[in-house]
Parts: sequence; structure tokens; C-alpha cells
Amino acid sequence: MIAGLGMTDLGKVYGRTPAEFAADAVRRAAADAGLRLSDLDGLLTSSGVTGGVSVDLQRDLGMTDLRLLSHMQSYGSTAGAMVQVASLAVMSGTASAVACVFADSPLQPERGAGAAYGTRRAPAGWWGLLGASGIVGPNPMYALAARRHMARYGTTTEQFGHIAVAQRSWAALNPAAQLREPVTLADHQSSRWIADPFRLLDCCLVSNGGIAVIVTTAERAATLAQPAVHVLGWAQAHPGHYLRRDPDFGLVTGAATAGPAALDMAGITLSDVDVVELYDCYTFTVLVTLEDYGFCPKGEGGPFAASGVLGPGGKLLLNTGGGQLSGYYMWGMTPLSEAVIQARGQGAERQAAAHDVVLVSGNGGVLDHHATLVLGSQAGAS
Amino acid sequence: MTVGPVARDAATAEFFDAAAAGRFLLRRCPAGHFSEPSAAQCTTCASTALRWEAARGGATLVSWAVAWGRPASDPEAQRTVLVIAELDEGPWWWSQLADADPASLAVGQRLRIEFRRAGSEYEAVPVFALA
Repeated sequence: MIAGLGMTDLGKVYGRTPAEFAADAVRRAAADAGLRLSDLDGLLTSSGVTGGVSVDLQRDLGMTDLRLLSHMQSYGSTAGAMVQVASLAVMSGTASAVACVFADSPLQPERGAGAAYGTRRAPAGWWGLLGASGIVGPNPMYALAARRHMARYGTTTEQFGHIAVAQRSWAALNPAAQLREPVTLADHQSSRWIADPFRLLDCCLVSNGGIAVIVTTAERAATLAQPAVHVLGWAQAHPGHYLRRDPDFGLVTGAATAGPAALDMAGITLSDVDVVELYDCYTFTVLVTLEDYGFCPKGEGGPFAASGVLGPGGKLLLNTGGGQLSGYYMWGMTPLSEAVIQARGQGAERQAAAHDVVLVSGNGGVLDHHATLVLGSQAGAS
Repeated sequence: MTVGPVARDAATAEFFDAAAAGRFLLRRCPAGHFSEPSAAQCTTCASTALRWEAARGGATLVSWAVAWGRPASDPEAQRTVLVIAELDEGPWWWSQLADADPASLAVGQRLRIEFRRAGSEYEAVPVFALA
């Protein structure tokens, strides 16, 4: 069960370290659940591009006598993986209440968002060679993945644009979103190239901040402050071809195996899903994940995205907080946090009328790491 | 279209020695499988008895993207065509495509490996050109 959610101020929030954001997020999550920090006996930490969060967070928070403590890192799939490990821990009695936290502070006041993710590689050795070749940061790598999908299936930049426009419409309804001004398909098509086929509006934000959730048992959750969110199913998939020959590159991701496995564990099918919160580092990531989860046949993600199903009032309630494109970029905590809000029924203006089952994805590396969660407002399949 | 500076380290010394002589080295195991140059074990059979072997230099285009610099008075000047190429020996390699119009590219086009340097004090960087 997810019994607590803590979100710091997100976005251009300066002057705080990742460890400070992480501590703030855990305090907020515990308070949200109606727990004291001393009620927690487990802590799973994770960090982003700037690092700076570790098991030392235990000391920062004055947490004593923990029964579970570890730092986890599988990139954008970490948030889902943390909830899986925490759920196993509370099911087995290893711990009774586990905080899972992510924090990062890549933005600096005098530096553009691109610099935050583009200048990590030292110019020596194999990584230096990759950068010297022009492959710097995730933008060109995902662009190469997206182009392969376009070349194989005829997917277009306009189809990517429909995803960006729909998610901005959702963000307009989310007070926590960084970009809430509506955009049109024309705005998307006239936004500057970042790495063709990606324009600016195909790329996620960069944000400072931290988000934590509290995972506990059903018995404990029933006594706490918030509507409990059940963790009904989970799965991971890590194909393992990063920067290697990979016939599936850009075409099929780990979501194709993890999605069905998580639904099986939950005892439901895709038609039972009410709300979908997908990792959206790029518009293309959403498109290929929709295909891999089976919302449309392989190769038809483009026409599906452009068919009018997306956005508020659409048939598919997808990335209802604006996602990473328009909301906030907290790696896998972005889709997870919005999923918890929706499953609880606390989405206010953007709340889905039916929210019994919420499907959540995490994606890391260059489509290399995947985690799926199935969350529910009820204990069993509805 | 330009490559950046890169220095060698212990793991890349032999690769860059060969690059300076115009050869692209792959790793090959006793069973004959090729792996990418950074591989510590065979990507097919996990053998660690790898030796260097020069690629023939031919490749085909797998995917491409066009990286743009930050807005400048002449953004066209900052365009870099980036590609994934499948070497004829099997491994994939990620680098630039020299002197190509991205509008004319198609999957499967024939490429050949060339080398460029950011300056005489830096190592030679493999790039691709249309064959």
C-alpha cells in the first residue's frame, strides 16, 4: 500500500542540495500519511543526474533502528523498482513502513536546462570518444531511437506533437506544473529543433526538487490519514543492449514484457485500466510505451496519438498532471506521484471520474530499463 | 560538422593507435564472434579471450538524427548529422555522418568509416561517410 506522498516545491527552486530536497520530501510524505519519522523503519534512497542523495539521509532525518536501508539506481525505472522492493519488504515483514525517495537539483540559476544534462562526460576513453563523436547526452540518443520508429512505421513529428499538446492541456489544470500555458500543434511544429526529429516541445523539463512515498501494510494503511493506494501488480524489464547492436532499438522496449506481467500479477487486463501515467522524457517515449503496453498495435502509436483520444475529455486519460513534458521532471517519481494523486481521487480539476486502476511506467537509460506498477483504489481487481 | 577533442586512456590506447593509422578495431573471440571495441567479454558467447581485429570499414545506416546547437545567428552552421551504423562485421557504432544532407538519408544506405581529429593534439575519431 502507498500511504503517503511528499512533494517539495518543484522546478526552478534554487539554493538547496539534493539531500535537503530528499529530507524535505520524506518529512512531507510521513506527515501526509499521518506518521512520525520515528514510525518509519525502512528507507530506500535514489538520486538523479547530480547525485547527492545516499543512505546518509538516515542520519539527516534522525531515523534510528531502521530494518531496511539501501540506495537504488536503475535510472528512470528506479521509482517503480523502489515501490516493488518496499512492497516485498512489508509483505515479508522485513520492515513495516518504508520511505522511498528521489531528489535532484540539476538546475542552476545562471545555466540553461540543456547544460544540466549535457556536460557530464570527461573527454577521455570510450565515453570521451562517444562525446567527441557528437553523441552528447540523452537528446541525440532518443532522437536516434525515434527516427528508427519513424523510418519503420511512418511515424511523424506531427504525431509526436499531439502528445505534447495534450499533456500541456492537462498541465494547465495542475497547480504544481511548471508549464501551464496552452500550446497548439502549430506551436509544437514551430518550436526549435533540439535533435531532429525532436523539437523543444518533444523534450521533458529539467526540475529541482524531491518526491517521496511511504509504503506500508494494508493493516497499517487502514489506520492512517490518506485513502490507501493498493500496489496491485509490478514488473521490471531490462533488455540489456545499451549502445549495442539491438534489433528492437527504438521499436520495442521493456514495457512490452513488463506491462503484461504487471497486469497479470494484478489479475486484470488493459481494459480495466482507468488512468495511465507514463514516463515521458520525450513525446516518443509515450508513443512507444503505449504500443508496448498494447493500447494500440505495434507501429500504430502515431495515428493513435493523433486520433483525438488524448487530453482532458479524451478517451484515454494519459499523463493527467502534464507529465515530465509540462509538469515536473522527477524521473520515475513524476508518473508515480500523479498516479497516487489520481488513485486517491485528489486530482481536483484534473481528477479522473473513474480511478480504480492506474497504470504507471518508468523508463531509464535509452529505453534500456523499464518498471511497471499497477495501482488501485481498491484491494482487488475492480 | 566537426568532432570534439578526446584523449586516450589505458583501455583505449590500442584502439586510438589503430585509428591514427586509419583502422577501426573490433574485438573478436576464438569462436569468431565480433564485439564492439569497448567490450570486455564477447557479446555473443561471453568469452574473455578477446583479441583486436580491424573492421573492413563498410557499414549500413540504422538510424540518424540531426543535433542542433543553441540558437545562434546561423544555426545551420551548428548542425551535426548523427548516426547509428551497423558495421559489416555485425556490431553497431554511434558517431557522425560527414558531409551528408539529412533529407536524403534512408535506412540501409551504405556507409564507410573515416577518421577526423579536433586537432593534432587529440586522438582520431571514427566517423561515417556515404559510400
